[in-house]
Amino acid sequence: MNPSRTARLAKVVALSSSIALLAAGCASGDSKDAAQPASADNPVTLTITTFGTQGLDPLYKQYEADNPGITIEATNIDTGGNALTDWKTKQAAGAGLPDVQAVEEGWLGQVMTVSDSFTDLNEYGAKDIAGDWVDWKVKQATDAEGRTIGYGTDIGPMGLCYNSKLFKAAGLPSDREQVAELFGGADSTWDDFFSVGEDYVKKTDKAFYDQSGFVWNAMVNQLDEGYYKADGSLNIEGNTALRERWDQLSAAASKGLSSAQTQWDWGKGQAFVDGSFAVMPCPGWMLGNVKGQVEGAGGDASDGWDFADVFPGGAANWGGAFLTVPSTSKHPAEAAKLAQYLTNATSQATSFEEAGAFPSNIEAQKFKAVTGENELTKFFNGAPIGEILSNRAEGVKAQYKGADDSVIQEQVFGPATIAIDKGTDGDTAWNTALLTLQELEIK
Amino acid sequence: MSTTTPMPRPKLRAEKPSTPTPERLQEAKAERKMRRRHLRGRLDFKYSPYLYISPFFILFALVGLFPLIYTFVVSINDWDLLSGAGDWVGLKNYQAELASPLFWNSLFNTFSIFLLSAIPQLVIATFIAAMLDQNIRAKTFWRMSVLVPYVVTPVAVTLIFSTAFDEKYGLINNLLGALNLDTIAWKTDVFPSHMAIATMVNWRWTGYNALILLAAMQAVPRELHESAAIDGAGAIRRFFSITLPSIRPTMIFVIITATIGGLQIFTEPKLFNPSSSVPGGPDRQYQTTVLYLWDLAFNRGDFGRASAVAWMLFLIIIVIGVINFLISGTIASSSDKRRPRRIPGRKAKRIKSHPTGSLRESANDE
Repeated sequence: MNPSRTARLAKVVALSSSIALLAAGCASGDSKDAAQPASADNPVTLTITTFGTQGLDPLYKQYEADNPGITIEATNIDTGGNALTDWKTKQAAGAGLPDVQAVEEGWLGQVMTVSDSFTDLNEYGAKDIAGDWVDWKVKQATDAEGRTIGYGTDIGPMGLCYNSKLFKAAGLPSDREQVAELFGGADSTWDDFFSVGEDYVKKTDKAFYDQSGFVWNAMVNQLDEGYYKADGSLNIEGNTALRERWDQLSAAASKGLSSAQTQWDWGKGQAFVDGSFAVMPCPGWMLGNVKGQVEGAGGDASDGWDFADVFPGGAANWGGAFLTVPSTSKHPAEAAKLAQYLTNATSQATSFEEAGAFPSNIEAQKFKAVTGENELTKFFNGAPIGEILSNRAEGVKAQYKGADDSVIQEQVFGPATIAIDKGTDGDTAWNTALLTLQELEIK
Repeated sequence: MSTTTPMPRPKLRAEKPSTPTPERLQEAKAERKMRRRHLRGRLDFKYSPYLYISPFFILFALVGLFPLIYTFVVSINDWDLLSGAGDWVGLKNYQAELASPLFWNSLFNTFSIFLLSAIPQLVIATFIAAMLDQNIRAKTFWRMSVLVPYVVTPVAVTLIFSTAFDEKYGLINNLLGALNLDTIAWKTDVFPSHMAIATMVNWRWTGYNALILLAAMQAVPRELHESAAIDGAGAIRRFFSITLPSIRPTMIFVIITATIGGLQIFTEPKLFNPSSSVPGGPDRQYQTTVLYLWDLAFNRGDFGRASAVAWMLFLIIIVIGVINFLISGTIASSSDKRRPRRIPGRKAKRIKSHPTGSLRESANDE
C-alpha cells in the first residue's frame, strides 16, 4: 500500500485530529452551566497537559479536595519536545487542546505567534498578582498587545557546576566562594571564564567544559537581543555582539577547552565521573540531571561535583515553563483559577520539593522548602542551591524570542558548535551556519 | 417462504385484464413479491461480493486516498502548521524543494542507505537460505533463530546499536581502539553513519528474507539437483544453475518489498542519535527523506513544503515500482520462453513419438 504509506504525514494529522475531536467531544461535557463557578451541584472536569517532571501531581489532589465539583484529568508527556509536537498537532487541528496547557520557554516563541488563540489571563486577575513573579517571567508570557497568556511555573537561572576534586588536582581553589571569585565574582565575564579554562587545560591537559553547545546557548540567552531583534526581525548576520561571543567560544574550543561530548548523552554519564571535563553551565533544573548522570555511571557525591554562585557574562536563564489556557477551553475561568493555584507560592514550593523545579514566584524562592537542605544539596557537597539560584535569578532580562528561535538554536548553531568542538575554525563554522540559515529559509 | 405458491402465470396473463377482483389483486401482489425476490437474488449474486470487499476500499479511501488528496491540496498552498492555510501558491512548494540542497541531500542519504542495506542483505539472506536448505540437524531451531531479530522492535534495535556505535564510549570503537586501529566517527561521518544504519536494517530484515527465500528453495524439485549431481555438477554449480534460476520470482518479490521499505526508513536514523538537535545528524549526514519531511512539518512548521516532499517521495516510489515491474516482466517472460508452458495436444503427441525433432519444431512454431 504505497499511497497510504507515503501519505502518512497527512494520516497522522487526520488521525490525531479525529482523536482530538473525539476527546473534545467527551471532555468537559458534564457541566450544567459553563458560566457558573464550579460547585458540587455544577461539576466541572478540567484537563491539563504537562511534560517532564513538573512536580504538580500532589497539587491536583489538594485542589480537588479544596474545590468540590472540580475533577482534574491530567496528562503528562515525557519530554518537552514531545509535548511540543503534541501541542502543535492539536493547535493545527484546532481541537483537542486541554483546559490548561503547559508551555516550555524554548517554544514560547512559536506559541507567541498564535498568542490570540490563548486566553488573556488578565481578564481573570493576572494583572493584580503580576508582582508575585520575577518581572522578566511575566514579560516573557506577555504579547505585543499586552495580553498575558501564561502563569510562570519554574525558571532556570544559571550558575556554574564544577568538580571540586578536579579543580583541586589542577591547583585551583576548590571552595565554592573562592571558585566564584576565581571566575570574577559578580562581574564575571566570559574572558574570565575562558582564561581560567586555558589555565586548567595547560595544567591538566584535560578539557575544561563538556561541549560548546550549552555555553553558546547561555551566551546568546543573556544578550539583550538574541537571534531576533525586539521588533521581530532576524538578527544574526552583522550582529557584532553575537559574532564577538562566537569568536571567543571558537577560540576556546580550538585551544582544547571543550571535551566535545555529545549533548544529553555524555557517554551515558561516563564523562561526569572519568574527569573528561570540570565545569558545566547549569540552570537549576540541570542539577538533577547532573546527579542522575553521575549516579547512572555508578558515581555519587564523592565524585566532587559542586555548584558555584557565579555566571560569566551576567545573569542568564535557560528554560522554565508556563501554564496557559487555550481559548478552546469551555471553562476558561475555572481553568485560569487552576493555573493560578498551581503557580502560587506554596504550590511552587511543593513542586520544588517534588521535582526540583526552581520557583519563579518570588515569595516561594524564600520558603524554607526551597532554601533548605534536600537530596540535591547533599549531592552537591552541601551547596545552598536554593539561595544560589535565587541570587542567579536576579538581573535576568526577558529576551524577545522569534518564531524560529528554537530552530535556529538547534539546526543552525547546534551543528556549528559541534563543528568547532571537532576542530573546524570559527570563521568556517560561522559561515556554514549562515549558509544553513539560508537553506532553511528562515526569515 | 410459505406465502408464495407457484402461480400458473401464463394463463393468467392470457386473460384479459378486467376489473380487479380481490383474488387477482393478491395474485399480482404475490407476483410482484416473487419478482422482487428474484431481483434481489440477482442483485445479491451480482453485487454482494463488492459489498464484502468494500470495507477495505472504504477504509482505504478514508485513511489512504483522502489523506493523499488532502496532502496534495496542502502542498499547493503556503500552509503553516500553526496558523493554517495561507495563499494558494501552485507548484511553488515543489519548485522550492527541487531547488533545496537539503531535499537532495535527503534523497542521496535515502538511496545510499537503501543500497548499503538492500544489496548485502539479499546476498547474505540467499546464502543463509542456501545453508538452511542443506540437511542440517535441528532444522526448525535454526530456521526460527534467524527470524528472532525481526521480532524485536526497531526502536529497541536502534537503541542497542546506537550505543554500540557511540563514538567515544561505544563497544565497536572500544574494540577498534584495543586493536590499535583508528576509531571511526560513526555518528558524524557520512559513509560510516550510513553503514551503521544499514547494519541495523540488515540485522532486522536479513533473517526474514532468508526464510522467504528458503521457502522458495524448498519448492525446487529435488530431482533436478539429483540428476545434476549425477551429471557431475558440484554444489556451487548446482546453486548457480539450478537454485538461483528457480527462485527468481520470489527473489523479485523480496527485492520489491526491500525497495519499498528501504525508501521509507525513518525509525533508525531518527533514533540513531536521539540527542542530536537536528534530526538525522548535526549536518544531516543521515537524514533520510521521510525524516526530512517530518522535520519540515513538525520542527520548521512548513506544512505545505512537507506535503510537497511527501508527494515527490510518492512519485519516486511509483517510478521505482514501475521499473521493478518492467524488469520482473522481462525476467518472467524470458523464463517462459525457455520452457513453453502449454503444448497443444497434437504437438504433444508428436513430441511423445519423436521427442527431439518435434521439440525443435514447436519452438520454431512459436
